[in-house]
Amino acid sequence: MLTDSEMLRYSRHLLLEDVGELGQKDLKNGKVLIIGMGGLGSPAAMYLAAAGVGSLVLCDFDCLEVSNLQRQIGYQTGDIGGDKVELMKHRLEMINPEIRVRSINKEMAEEQLLMELMMVNLVLDCTDNMASRQMINAACVKAKVPLIVGAAIRLEGQLMFFDHSQADSACYHCLFPNSDEQALNCSNSGVLGPVVGTIGTMQALEAIKHLVGLPSGIKNKLKLFDGKTLDWQTFAVKKDPECSVCGKNR
Amino acid sequence: MNVFVNEQTLEIAPDCNIEELLEALDKPLQGTAVAVNQNILSRSLWSDYSLQEGDHISLFQAIAGG
Repeated sequence: MLTDSEMLRYSRHLLLEDVGELGQKDLKNGKVLIIGMGGLGSPAAMYLAAAGVGSLVLCDFDCLEVSNLQRQIGYQTGDIGGDKVELMKHRLEMINPEIRVRSINKEMAEEQLLMELMMVNLVLDCTDNMASRQMINAACVKAKVPLIVGAAIRLEGQLMFFDHSQADSACYHCLFPNSDEQALNCSNSGVLGPVVGTIGTMQALEAIKHLVGLPSGIKNKLKLFDGKTLDWQTFAVKKDPECSVCGKNR
Repeated sequence: MNVFVNEQTLEIAPDCNIEELLEALDKPLQGTAVAVNQNILSRSLWSDYSLQEGDHISLFQAIAGG
């Protein structure tokens, strides 16, 4: 049952045929781990908090720097120097006191990540480097937890959804098998705030859809966003039988 | 024969595979993802896939920023 205050707060969800009271209860029971509290994690976490996802776990180990504020819209100038996860936890509790937010203020080793995965329904990869992305993917494959991956640089974005609860799901490593590559990141290439914000927002949208049981159009797909033309390209990603993370020889 | 690489027409030798195409274009094999006609082609299949006339090939890099 939703409380009276929840009925009021989420009334615009309750009007939606695709969400309704049942969907809102699914959101309330939802447990989502968001790794990375930067330009992707800011909008993703704020939208999920506002939507009433009952339990959010935030992970990051950075302090807020002035150069983050151009795109990481969850923070303010007076926050500089503070721990991002603690700042964001406070921000989310201000947005929605009806939900529970827990912060992990360090870089998780695989063992701890696997423990955390046992307690969530879904993971959002909002990180900023290839090594973390590969580690998170491998852990989600192992724990069979669905993973929504976002990335952005310059005026380009990438979005993927790998539902590792399905045995035939492809994985991030099928798509990008070279973990040692120097992948582009925001500090070496620059990025426009609304581009990374668009991708983080899409991660939140897919997360809400997943939690309320709506089908996703992007499972086993890679979406490329072009911020110059606003065009999206879509590519199908098949499980690579030779993949060292999810394939037959793992 | 002609194929399209990131929407640009390119003339290549018949029976050219993806690995040979990337070498001809001087693209790094590491860190590049390849799609043929909107389907990602796994790295392990690059040397097996012979390009066909009119194929649309998309090449792009992994991005990690966030």
